Amino acid sequence: MTERTDNLFSDAGFIRHNRQIAPGHFLLSISIPLAFPVPKPGQFCMLHLPGNEAMILSRPFSVHGFQKKKKEAVLEILYRVSGRGTQFLSNLTPGAEIRVLGPLGRGFWRLAGKRILLVAGGIGLAPLAFFLEREIEYGNHSTAFSIYLGAKNAEILEGLASRIPAGNQKLLPATDDGSIGYRGPITDILKKDLEHLATKETMILACGPTAMLKSLAELVTQKAVFCEVSLEERMACGIGACLGCVVETRNQNGSSTYKRVCKEGPVFDIREIVWSR
Amino acid sequence: MEPLKLDVNVGGLFLKNPVIAASGTFGYGEEYAPFFDLGMLGGIATKGLSLKPRQGNPPPRIIETPSGMLNAIGLENVGVERFIAEKLPFLRQFDTKIIANIFGETPEEYEKLAAVLSCADGIDAIEINISCPNVKKGGAMFGADPDLAAEVTAKVRAETNLPVIVKLTPNVTDITRIALAVESAGADAVSLINTLTGMSIDIENRRPHLANITGGLSGPAVKPVALRMVWEVFHAVKIPVIGIGGITTAEDALEFMIAGAVAIQVGTANFIDPASTLAILAGIENFLDRHQIGDIRELIGSLRL
Ligand SMILES: Cc1cc2nc3c(=O)[nH]c(=O)nc-3n(C[C@H](O)[C@H](O)[C@H](O)COP(=O)(O)OP(=O)(O)OC[C@H]3O[C@@H](n4cnc5c(N)ncnc54)[C@H](O)[C@@H]3O)c2cc1C
Ligand SMILES: Cc1cc2nc3c(=O)[nH]c(=O)nc-3n(C[C@H](O)[C@H](O)[C@H](O)COP(=O)(O)O)c2cc1C
Ligand code: FES
Repeated sequence: MTERTDNLFSDAGFIRHNRQIAPGHFLLSISIPLAFPVPKPGQFCMLHLPGNEAMILSRPFSVHGFQKKKKEAVLEILYRVSGRGTQFLSNLTPGAEIRVLGPLGRGFWRLAGKRILLVAGGIGLAPLAFFLEREIEYGNHSTAFSIYLGAKNAEILEGLASRIPAGNQKLLPATDDGSIGYRGPITDILKKDLEHLATKETMILACGPTAMLKSLAELVTQKAVFCEVSLEERMACGIGACLGCVVETRNQNGSSTYKRVCKEGPVFDIREIVWSR
Repeated sequence: MEPLKLDVNVGGLFLKNPVIAASGTFGYGEEYAPFFDLGMLGGIATKGLSLKPRQGNPPPRIIETPSGMLNAIGLENVGVERFIAEKLPFLRQFDTKIIANIFGETPEEYEKLAAVLSCADGIDAIEINISCPNVKKGGAMFGADPDLAAEVTAKVRAETNLPVIVKLTPNVTDITRIALAVESAGADAVSLINTLTGMSIDIENRRPHLANITGGLSGPAVKPVALRMVWEVFHAVKIPVIGIGGITTAEDALEFMIAGAVAIQVGTANFIDPASTLAILAGIENFLDRHQIGDIRELIGSLRL
């Protein structure tokens, strides 16, 4: 029998604020009942677009922040406007009701390691910043953290960087136009750094566009570094029922299987993924 | 006051209420158990089962469309044996009727599936899927031809004593012809509709949104079409009709029942809200109360013209 997870929540929350942090990028804060189970970094939620008859499917978003207060819990989502649904979301104002389903999926595995590299492509920072926040909260001082953050330009990069929790981690920026940091793909800097890092003591957590994840996949296979990625695929249910969100994964015997991003993921060992597209 | 009577008889399948979770949208039940007691439902139709496990189609498999979605899952499923061994025991814990939805590439495969499932303890009915638009062989091919539809139905009928429901495709010129054909071949009930074949294109890269190119349309967008077909079939056949297609609210469900459906299935709405089926059931009860209707059967086919 497959594992049952009874700690799921599906109920209304209320928007506390929904503010722009950079062009096209928003921080959404939702007040939800305390019954909402504490999410693990890497887990996600489905947000229903309220009062909308055309866009029927909820949208998946990584948990970016979560705090329990006296009478409520606060869930934070960091999102980029990339289509009609996220456009609609960006117009919602404080007080609006919004249904949240979550927390869903499997989060990042927290392996002990001397060095953790967080590799974020743009909005992919959302779950990684939450991961780092939890590590800082738990008082993990024995690990050195570095954040490799790639973005389109300086304005977006700075907006995103403002969401990184305060700590003594290193930030390594790259932009497409070179307006701040390295000019080019973030994986270029990572590649250089990996040359002189002891790979056994290093692990990578990554989230970002497919192109970034693909080059990362090549990089870590050459270097034999343990690397986990958070993937995106279109979703209908978010709970494993529709089989709509599958990715192709490699089996040990060389054959491949489809796995559900919403259930077996969204976080996968990067070596498992068959990158076809 | 007398308690409300919600039970219905779907060709020998007795449901305590008319709300059924539709095949392919409810997994094998497990995913929805965290949200409510599955025993509240009239029935659960399982994901389409084939003799051998199936991988399904490559991704992307789904895309949202206005008030609906397209899917081309391609009947990924664990296969009938693993279903019986691993999934059925879980489902059987609940006080609800289990409807095994089956799919084959040949009439003989349907026959075998019916035989295997009839021996398994805990299946209450068989729903023959001759209407899946997303697989190359079988599926909709049988559903679009009255003779083939009748052949599959007769073969399954001969293998089982369980109530046999035939699930019809809307992708035909006249759905009543298929309904009449499966009725004379021994079907106990028909369920309709399965998804409508559709398509969606990403204009930026000029590629189809689905790897399968086409997919099945479901959700609120299909409701008027489904309702019209249920009404037509209700008048054409004597066996009970199960209404499916875009049902998201109790009002939707009631429309189908007034048009002639003895029971209804809820599909895509399960994705919108995992507890949709319960809300629909509660809404139906509320409506009956409000209109002082003591027995839901008074409503079935009560359309005033
Ligand atoms: C597990 C997971 C976590 C995510 N976390 C975040 C996050 O923290 N912040 C953020 O900004 N975005 C995140 N995304 C991507 C986000 O879900 C999409 O940007 C969003 O669904 C786009 O909706 P839309 O209506 O604006 O776009 P449209 O393109 O109009 O959407 C059409 C359909 O495609 C789906 N879709 C489109 N793009 C994506 C995508 N990249 N991934 C999955 N489905 C997509 C939509 O949900 C919708 O069903 C995440 C996706 C997944 C799967
Ligand atoms: C993702 C998905 C998978 C489906 N899988 C099956 C299936 O395996 N067998 C089947 O008979 N119908 C399948 N269907 C069709 C539904 O059971 C239903 O007939 C159809 O979606 C219309 O109802 P709705 O608008 O309420 O979803 C599937 C539908 C969807 C959306
Ligand atoms: S979104 Fe439905 S199975 Fe993953």
